[in-house]
Amino acid sequence: MPTPVLAASAPAAAASAPLWTLDGLRAADPVLAIALLMLVAVVVAEVLHRAWRLPRICGHMLTGALASPLMLRLVDRFDLDPWKPLIDLAIGAMLFELGTRIRPRWLIDNPWLALSCVLQSLLCGLLVALFLAWLGAPWSAAAVAGTVALSTSPVIVLAVTHEARSRGQVTERLLLMVAINAVIAVVGLKVLRIVLATDAPGDELVTALVSALRVLAGSFLLGLAFGFALDRLSPLVRGTPAMPVLQIALVITASMLAVQWTLSPLLALLVAGMTARARMSHGLAVEPHLGSAGAVLNVLLFICLGLLLTLDGFWTIWPWVLVIILMRLIASGIAIGGLARLSGLGWRQAAGLALALQPMSSLAVLLAADSFGWAPQLPGVHGPTLQALLVATTLMQLTGPIWTQLSLRHLARETNPA
Amino acid sequence: MALQDFTTSQPLTLGVELELQLVSTHDYDLAPQAEDLLRVLKNHTGDWDVKPEITRSMIEIGTSIQRQHSTLVAELRDLRDQLARGARKLNIGIAGGGTHAYQHWSQQQIFPGERFHYISELYGYLAKQFTVFGQHVHVGCEDGDKALWLLHALSRYVPHFIALSASSPYVQGVDTGFDSARLNSVFAFPLSGRAPFTLGWDEFGKYFDKMTSTGVVQSMKDFYWDIRPKPEFGTIELRVCDTPLTVEKAAALACYLQCICRWLRETKPFEPAEDDYLVYTFNRFQACRFGLDGEIVDPKTKERHRLRDDILRTLARVDEHALDLQALDASNLIRESLFEGNDAGWLRGYHERGLPLSAAVEAAARRWMALD
Repeated sequence: MPTPVLAASAPAAAASAPLWTLDGLRAADPVLAIALLMLVAVVVAEVLHRAWRLPRICGHMLTGALASPLMLRLVDRFDLDPWKPLIDLAIGAMLFELGTRIRPRWLIDNPWLALSCVLQSLLCGLLVALFLAWLGAPWSAAAVAGTVALSTSPVIVLAVTHEARSRGQVTERLLLMVAINAVIAVVGLKVLRIVLATDAPGDELVTALVSALRVLAGSFLLGLAFGFALDRLSPLVRGTPAMPVLQIALVITASMLAVQWTLSPLLALLVAGMTARARMSHGLAVEPHLGSAGAVLNVLLFICLGLLLTLDGFWTIWPWVLVIILMRLIASGIAIGGLARLSGLGWRQAAGLALALQPMSSLAVLLAADSFGWAPQLPGVHGPTLQALLVATTLMQLTGPIWTQLSLRHLARETNPA
Repeated sequence: MALQDFTTSQPLTLGVELELQLVSTHDYDLAPQAEDLLRVLKNHTGDWDVKPEITRSMIEIGTSIQRQHSTLVAELRDLRDQLARGARKLNIGIAGGGTHAYQHWSQQQIFPGERFHYISELYGYLAKQFTVFGQHVHVGCEDGDKALWLLHALSRYVPHFIALSASSPYVQGVDTGFDSARLNSVFAFPLSGRAPFTLGWDEFGKYFDKMTSTGVVQSMKDFYWDIRPKPEFGTIELRVCDTPLTVEKAAALACYLQCICRWLRETKPFEPAEDDYLVYTFNRFQACRFGLDGEIVDPKTKERHRLRDDILRTLARVDEHALDLQALDASNLIRESLFEGNDAGWLRGYHERGLPLSAAVEAAARRWMALD
């Protein structure tokens, strides 16, 4: 359970202030503060949804942003760290669910699609890195930024597809590509650590290489084990309300073990979901967010993503931010559009898919971390590059759901009007 | 609009149309991906045709004009293989079956197109409920008079085709108890059922004129009869079959019809009469409800027979015609299916083994696509 630290960090003078004042809220019990934030988030999301048909998660993130140091300073970013296990659980549940939606056989049946997936990721990373380097970023920092930027946010994409109830070719490809580029980002960051370690003495390079292989193989095996475990345990609770409980319990365990053994929870949970689907087929019923408990955590997750948003230094680094955002869009457009016809996609759908992939993700960096801070996860990375990456992520996290919804509704026309 | 002349076509030639389900490989519910599949199949090889149907989760395929079983089944296998390849490219499944076991009609989307939108406007929710899947078989006739004679002579055999092809026991997730629940959806349409008893093309033209003058119909397409004349093709079209779970069964049903038509035309075992229709809806109901175990009443002798026995007797009667038409493989497949049971029983088998309906849909898709 998270340790309440919000109150401890609040100024003593504010402790006696009434709850309805800003100072009072800042000094409030952390559980109460988060509960109030959730209440506000639900109302704001609903108002925005009814007024402008904005995805509800925009309202959740916006509420988080309002409470963040960016605006009202109700909650400090560091105060969130104790909540991280719960947030990780929400992300884990969605990654597991995403894994159950993936059918790897599709990549064999449609090799042009497989090529398109890999090309989209690599081209995104490459173009972002090249143009950041052209703007003056050190090569190593540009490479790290490119690797982080190549992934799309799985949680945003999944949340939008759930809410829009979209079904169709673009939706299926979107989910597949999101899973693949998330894995490529995780693997890419591990590989980069090796490459960056080549300046170090030989022993450290070997250690880094072994460590990367251990992470990949270990995460895969862990996911495989939990997929098998779910298959074995499910018959005991099939048809009872305990099924989502079992799934959540296994997701927590897998996620915690992955973190404890310094593996990749992202990879482990995706593999667990895919294994469970392959093993159990029709016996596996996965509710969106793994049920109502997962839905609550989801709101919390998007509030926290909102709290982490930052626009610090935007006016000095905006060209860098623009390069990241534009290059991601261009690279997606080239990779998907170039192979659209060969892989069986229409031009309009290709445009829709490229746009739907724009929400950015911080998961590749943060999911394996102990805290919400980026800097400790990317040591030695050039400051302005890191900040540009953070600001680009902020913009494409906050507006990402709108692009994805717009694409699925108007370009792909895969949302159900009923 | 006057009824068009009946185009002459070579007697007993065949054309088969199959309405097919597109299903997601994730949850095996219907997938609205007809446009995607049509795009992928745009450059298909072969003389067959593939086109959209009323909702976005359906497609319809049509063979070229065929004369005998071997070439018909070869063409159906070729189109099945090409369709299956296209479907795998898109990560969807294609399945036979008269209904999807658990799709929800309100979630279906009308395929963009002028006629589909006209039907949707006219029939409202019935149009979406019409997400059912049938096999239509065209049989060539030399003129309108002969076509109408054959149409009414065939009415006695309509229950055979319903029972043999029945593959729609489930609707909206529930076992309806019917072997072919699909035809209940068709019955909801005001111009469904049987064609009026007219044996001359001119007389039929007068009926058509009266109907168009009421404004109720605009073309022959507005009639949803079990068997209807198709003057532009020079055929009669049998429309009562559920789409079978395999193309081999579809070909066998078409050739069984071809054999009966030849037998009727050459031996004229009876003259069709209006009174044949006294038992028509009863027999039709029995076939839909109980499949091959249903009991039908012979409109001439008034005797009751179990459908399975009646089909066996008919197969014996048409055997020499099957030989002449090189359709013995087809009649053998029909004979075997009488003992193995129809596709409705096959689908129920999955559920009876405790498997969810999605497992039955997946198995049906794998069977249609010949993946097993």
